[in-house]
Amino acid sequence: MSVETHAHHEHPDVVGSRNRLGVILLLVADIAFALSMVFVYFYLRGQNVNNMWLPAATEEHAVVTPLSASPGWTVTAIVTFGLLAHFYGLKGARSKNQTQLKLGSLVAFVASVVAIVYQFNTIATAPFTFSDGAYVSCFYMFAILNFVHLALTVFISLGNWNRARLGIYVSDHWHVDIVRVWWVWMVVSSLLGAFALSNP
Amino acid sequence: MTDVMTPKAPQWWKKPDVKKTAILWVVCTAVIGYVGAEFHVRNMVSPASETMSGVISLMRVFTWAAAPVAGLVAAMCLTVLTSKRHYGDNPPAEADHQVSNSPRATALWIVVSALLCLFALVGGFIVIQKDSSSLFDKSALQVNVTGQQWLWNFDYENGARSEDLYLPVNKPVVFHITSVDVKHSFWVVQMGIKMDANPGYTTEAAVTPNKIGVFDVRCTELCGLLHAYMQTKVHVVSQADYDAWLSIHVQIEKGA
Amino acid sequence: MTTVMSKPVSAPGKSIIEKLNFFTALALGAISAIVVWRLALQFLPEDTEVRLFTREDKITLLSMTAWLVGFMTGIGALVGPFRWLMGKDLSHEENMFLAGKDMGIKRYFRYTTDHKVIGIQYLVIIMVIFGIGGILAMLIRTNLGSSEGGWIHPQAYNSIVGTHGIIMIVGTIIMVTGPFGNFIMPIMIGARDMAFPRLNALSFWLIVAAAVPLLWGQFLGGISTGWTAYNPLASQAPLGMDGYIMFICIFAISTMVAGANITTTVVRMRAKGMTWNRTPIFVYGVVASVALGLPAFPVFFLSQIMSAMDRALDTSFYNTAGGGSGWLYENLFWIMGHPEVYVILIPAIAALMEMAPVFTRRPLFSFNVAVMGIAGISGLSVLVWAHHMYLSGWAPLLNTPFMLTTELISIPTGMLFLVLVGTLWRGRLWMTMPTMSIFALLWNFMIGGITGIYLSDVPADAFLHGSMYVTAHFHYTLIGAGLTGALAALVYWFPAMTGRMFDKKLSWVAFWIVQIGFNIAFIGMFTVGLAGQPRRVEAYASTFNTGNMITTGGAYLIMSGMLVLLYGVISSWKSGVKAPKNPWQAKTLEWTVGYPVPLENFEVLPTVTSDPYGYGKAQS
Repeated sequence: MSVETHAHHEHPDVVGSRNRLGVILLLVADIAFALSMVFVYFYLRGQNVNNMWLPAATEEHAVVTPLSASPGWTVTAIVTFGLLAHFYGLKGARSKNQTQLKLGSLVAFVASVVAIVYQFNTIATAPFTFSDGAYVSCFYMFAILNFVHLALTVFISLGNWNRARLGIYVSDHWHVDIVRVWWVWMVVSSLLGAFALSNP
Repeated sequence: MTDVMTPKAPQWWKKPDVKKTAILWVVCTAVIGYVGAEFHVRNMVSPASETMSGVISLMRVFTWAAAPVAGLVAAMCLTVLTSKRHYGDNPPAEADHQVSNSPRATALWIVVSALLCLFALVGGFIVIQKDSSSLFDKSALQVNVTGQQWLWNFDYENGARSEDLYLPVNKPVVFHITSVDVKHSFWVVQMGIKMDANPGYTTEAAVTPNKIGVFDVRCTELCGLLHAYMQTKVHVVSQADYDAWLSIHVQIEKGA
Repeated sequence: MTTVMSKPVSAPGKSIIEKLNFFTALALGAISAIVVWRLALQFLPEDTEVRLFTREDKITLLSMTAWLVGFMTGIGALVGPFRWLMGKDLSHEENMFLAGKDMGIKRYFRYTTDHKVIGIQYLVIIMVIFGIGGILAMLIRTNLGSSEGGWIHPQAYNSIVGTHGIIMIVGTIIMVTGPFGNFIMPIMIGARDMAFPRLNALSFWLIVAAAVPLLWGQFLGGISTGWTAYNPLASQAPLGMDGYIMFICIFAISTMVAGANITTTVVRMRAKGMTWNRTPIFVYGVVASVALGLPAFPVFFLSQIMSAMDRALDTSFYNTAGGGSGWLYENLFWIMGHPEVYVILIPAIAALMEMAPVFTRRPLFSFNVAVMGIAGISGLSVLVWAHHMYLSGWAPLLNTPFMLTTELISIPTGMLFLVLVGTLWRGRLWMTMPTMSIFALLWNFMIGGITGIYLSDVPADAFLHGSMYVTAHFHYTLIGAGLTGALAALVYWFPAMTGRMFDKKLSWVAFWIVQIGFNIAFIGMFTVGLAGQPRRVEAYASTFNTGNMITTGGAYLIMSGMLVLLYGVISSWKSGVKAPKNPWQAKTLEWTVGYPVPLENFEVLPTVTSDPYGYGKAQS
């Protein structure tokens, strides 16, 4: 089999566009997942079955008050910063500036680590237990999903930075382009959670 | 409809396969309509309410409405199957035409199926309107139905409670249905009504029994171990018998 | 991410790839599960009085997750991502090794990326699934042979019903897109492999990994809720429910990955000259099916995650006492559940549409209408879910719009009928088992479709919903149409996949026994449904006895037909007549490569100049 006809030696642009489509299709699935969480949130809020969306105080526990909106917005702010850093790195890759690429990727990675630590802290220090009604259930659902998304982000941005550091993206940088798609979705999905939870 | 698939040929209706299909179409439509309708009507329980009679006639009408389409497909299949067949390991000669579409046949097919669809919609819609208006009948008898694993409880307006349902004949009744544990579904078989019993919610269903007798209530939502045995009877009795039963039953309740 | 690299890095870690296989996966999965189970048993706090019974669920779910992670690590699914992370992408030799180059039988027990190997793996696992699901079905029917509850305990009976349901749903979802979508479809579009071969292997091995929690659950009380697993019934069900939850979550991931992979392959990798109107209709069917799974299965995934949280953490998504709602579950379930039946149906019908021109030696009738029909069904199918909930009372006012969308689906469905009947008309009929399957599909799907019209009508549904009538209806669509198409596809593509012809006589015998048995069984089931027998009961009033006896008899016929078919598969595969290169004289690309199909399929990528349906004599 000649090298020219070999599948694994296609032009990087062809492979890049194929990979981008694949990632976007996987994101379609993830978006459907996130939208159904929003559906769950509004369904339970609208139904307020037995007035247990935010249960009133009983003998056993005090009234459940929704979290202040700030944690959700803070996570969103951190990942937005990560997105901007990644974008800065991508611009570096496009203008053949490897130093800028490495710096941007590193900052994006650090942002993702900060975000996941912060998110973990929000879950661990939440002022209620799992069984405190439907709002609280939704809080845990959004927070845990965001945590899982952030874990993926840490993995991806670490790989991205490591590969930038090794100089893999000198000749073509479609990986970096695709990682940007993921970062955008990370920001949007954080935003969805923050928006929903701050409107109890 | 079959005809327009060979638009170039003049006098398409004189072709033998078209003639054959046309005759088969008539026969198949009649057979499918009759057998289909009778199959449904004969197997269905005999109705004990206007609602159920409505369901039965609706199914008869739908079957006859679908019969020409099914009949056409059957007729064309039979024509093809009874024409020359080729057995063997090697392919037969190529068919003697290359027709790969027919806009007229396609358009006709889509229009007809859209019309049938519309017909089914309108038919269903009229009945829905009738059924849902009866839910707001203020003069109707109100019965609370509570499902639990694995029996039904019926609460009447004057405080009586029973596990068998008693209803007066020819009087509208509205059921308020709920559950105390998992989801059940309240099905009064011969009256053609069904509504889920959901924990945490109350749902409504309305019917007017029009026949005196004993009928079946069955649970139709899997509700755990003894789901199959979660059934009871409806006793539809005359108004006088109903009043008598109710007064005795209230006394039993109070005595207990 | 794929492995394309402008600057290949040498690969010191090659040996680890060579070491991993199915057996290391089993071992690592089992060890992880046991270790996590012991640790959880040791360290998880006891239940407080407020939250009862959550500890066992936590332990079960954690161990099952550990199994999944261990198994997937052991099979080698994580090698690719970590090599990407390290910046040491797989080299060409390693990729060839992964594709199973010169490896013989061993490649079927590895994380092999060759789409043809994966197609065969799917074929085998589907036969296993249908075997198990079929045995469960026979247990159900045998138990229903007599009216007053048979010899199976109600708890076990409910679990058999639930397991039969979910395992058959999964089996039918992958029965066409799995073996034929993987083996045949890439060759059909002139591609060397899938767009993402490693993700392809991932999809398959996730299904293997998912089987274990389901099996495990059988020993923890089983799935006593039916395949729908409605809450709150599911939250009070025994620990077996956690097996169901894990099974669904893993299967959902597998489906989403496969959906993205196959869709990308078809959109980006068709041969030169294969424009959309030269793409075979089967390819459309496969893509519609897997692409429909992309928005549908995540919803199911979420519904099960919430179910797991309710069970293990005592949250209240579905628990009305805590502010949850059972209707929420039903909505989420059926938003997936209705598209899913078309996920099953569309590729099976598309496979028959692919065969129709071959066996009538004339062009496919109205290719455009076929595409419109498939697209129309896919589009509408995500808008009809609440017809499963007409009588749940969640929103009576929405019944009318959902009745509208549901009945609208009959229009694109009718288009598929038009295409099939139109193709048969004035064709030169070549009588083979696949040809006859087209007629069988038309017959069965006509019955399934018309009974579907009654069920879509709210007043009639008020009588029929939840009865055996519904069970018979969806078996008519899923077996009568879906499985009929899949079995025809098996016989049709058998020569391409095994190099041998499927034994003709056995294919006919199996066909007739299965079709006759099927129609007897489910016509009988229609009668008891109309007479008022509810679904999923292990005992029934004695008036339903005759109908149930008929159904049970028919079921035994189906079973014997399927056994004949199984014998046909095994004997033809082992010692069937060697197939000529293009036994059906078809014009699609999968018949141009011969058998055995070389690794990467094509020496020189083909160029397509016309649609594949150019049969028939040109008219002067």
